[in-house]
Amino acid sequence: MRDRILIIDDDDQLVDAYTEYLSQRGFQVDCAQELEEAQTLLAYFPYSVVVTDLRLSKLGFGGLDLVKHIREQSLPIRIIVITAYGWPELKSELSVQGADAFLRKPVRLAELGEAVCDLAGARA
Amino acid sequence: MKRPLLDTFRDPRKLSVRFQPIFHIKEGGSRVDSLEALIRGPLGTNFERADLLFDYVRRKKAETAVDQSCVVAIFDAISNLPSHFRVNINVHASTLGKDPSFADFFRTEAQKRSLALDRFTAEIVEHSPTYNVPALLYTIRRLRDSGIRIALDDVGLGHSNYRMMLDCRPDYFKLDAYFVRGLSTDPDRRAVVRSIVSFAKSMGGCVVAEGAESQECLVTLAKMGVELFQANLLCGALSIEGLRANSLLGASASVPLTTTTTEKRNVGRFEYQDQKLLV
Repeated sequence: MRDRILIIDDDDQLVDAYTEYLSQRGFQVDCAQELEEAQTLLAYFPYSVVVTDLRLSKLGFGGLDLVKHIREQSLPIRIIVITAYGWPELKSELSVQGADAFLRKPVRLAELGEAVCDLAGARA
Repeated sequence: MKRPLLDTFRDPRKLSVRFQPIFHIKEGGSRVDSLEALIRGPLGTNFERADLLFDYVRRKKAETAVDQSCVVAIFDAISNLPSHFRVNINVHASTLGKDPSFADFFRTEAQKRSLALDRFTAEIVEHSPTYNVPALLYTIRRLRDSGIRIALDDVGLGHSNYRMMLDCRPDYFKLDAYFVRGLSTDPDRRAVVRSIVSFAKSMGGCVVAEGAESQECLVTLAKMGVELFQANLLCGALSIEGLRANSLLGASASVPLTTTTTEKRNVGRFEYQDQKLLV
């Protein structure tokens, strides 16, 4: 069975690019634009990896909300947070909340693919 | 930004409708009693599945708006159904409890399409732990005054409990599949079902058994006094074309014995002669 990936970003072009690239790499990819949409998908499908932008200002919630939700639900999902900031304090906070990896914007597609492959393969 | 999902679900044209027959089966014969209208989300999306669609809707607390959208989608779909068919339409208890104008909305939309109100049953689904009882009862009374019958879905589970049964006084008690599956070999389940059948009778209602998975289970239920059955074993959810192709739209339509369409995998066989029970 193909690993299933969920992408959350408020930039439609980036979502399309991530989706196309990861699909070509053999993943089954879904995307969500709202916290409730993501929560519903997470409740019904066994995702291996969630890729979320940290700031989702157009969507009305933040990547951290999603990280907290996944960890509160004890879902066995690895989480990649994409952020424009590289502050160590921020990474530390996100790690405490349960994020597994970080990518700094702008993200190269190959870099994203590598991170997703690593985490999908490492999923417990 | 793409179109918000909720806006899509508020658009009745983006929803599609399937119909699952509820069969009246008693010694000597069977017939289609009514059809439960089942909503599907946009084709080809994850939300085509009704469980995902309504999970999302409940998370958005948008039951009222989407229930209205579903009513319109169903009314539009049944314009192709023979007018003698009764149709069940699911409505959240929270919609009935929060929207005092729901009965008016239902009546207005039906009248726009010249649909007789007494062919409908409002099937109450309840997923919210709290509801405004006086408002809920007010809306139920308004629906009943229009000739609409009331069914309570998922009886025995969650919030479709004895309080809801007493409050709503449904015409139909839809027994959840949890109590039906394994009934033949489980005396405890039979005790629960017997109690609900007795309770329904004392309130002047009837039980609809959902999700029977075997002939033995159907026979056991029939012996306990159940006459209405809804199960994939008998017939799955079909489009109107599928109903027609399986000869389920005639005035004397009965449980299908043969199938001829691409949807034939949804239609179960039904052979009760050897049980001296039916058909």
